[in-house]
Amino acid sequence: MNMNLDLNKLQLTLDGETDIVIRRDFTHPPTLVWRALTEPALIRKWMTAQDDLKRCEMDPRPGGSFLYEWAGFSFSGPILAVDAPHHMTHVEHFSGDPSYEVEITTDLVARGTGTRMTNVMRYSDSAARAVAIKNGFTDGMDEVYSRLEGYLTAE
Amino acid sequence: MPDLDLSFAALADPIRRAIVARLADGESTVQDLARPFSISQPSISRHLKVLETAGLIETRVDGTARPRRLKPDAVETLWDWLGQYRALWDEQFQRLDDVLDGLSDEKNPTTSDTSERSTP
Repeated sequence: MNMNLDLNKLQLTLDGETDIVIRRDFTHPPTLVWRALTEPALIRKWMTAQDDLKRCEMDPRPGGSFLYEWAGFSFSGPILAVDAPHHMTHVEHFSGDPSYEVEITTDLVARGTGTRMTNVMRYSDSAARAVAIKNGFTDGMDEVYSRLEGYLTAE
Repeated sequence: MPDLDLSFAALADPIRRAIVARLADGESTVQDLARPFSISQPSISRHLKVLETAGLIETRVDGTARPRRLKPDAVETLWDWLGQYRALWDEQFQRLDDVLDGLSDEKNPTTSDTSERSTP
């Protein structure tokens, strides 16, 4: 779906039945963007709800893995392919939903002195993609927190 | 409230997106909708059925005519979902910009004007 809500530099497109494609331009070269995307100390600075991030691990090589863990839930998965500083493919699992699995490819291409990043998030089907848009991001991570809190309180 | 899954699936097809774009300019008959496309009217009707099932368009009864139109709430809701989703990424990438600015300063400590940099 070509719904480009293109305000400044971010372009978000729903592609076919299963993909979400994000394009974003950065004013810095791919080597720096790659560092910010793969070094845990740097990831901590831009990650959603970074103040509550308990563990932040990233081993960016084929056969490596990553883990972002907040209180009560986490995102983690294997790293499938790496060609630093231009390409990475990894799989993301969400601890709150065993059926959640998305394959993410990240490409960084030099554009002038900057970088164009293209992120393709491929869901298992259109329903999974809709859930990701609707649930995961309705009110940002706040909703995930409150749902988990409700769940833990009920236990 | 449209079914988000059905709606996004319905809009995965380029012809259906074109139909929605066309209807954004106002209601239209099936014949008029079929005109720009080199496909048959029954085929257009099938696309319209998918869009209607997804809750994105509706049929107005006007005598013997049956013009189709967008359901305004449906399309707005989709844009809202996507807008909020997008806003989350936008915020995240703005923080990433700041991280990159920091890295860049580290790398080129002499390129910036030190008197300016003394101001936090």
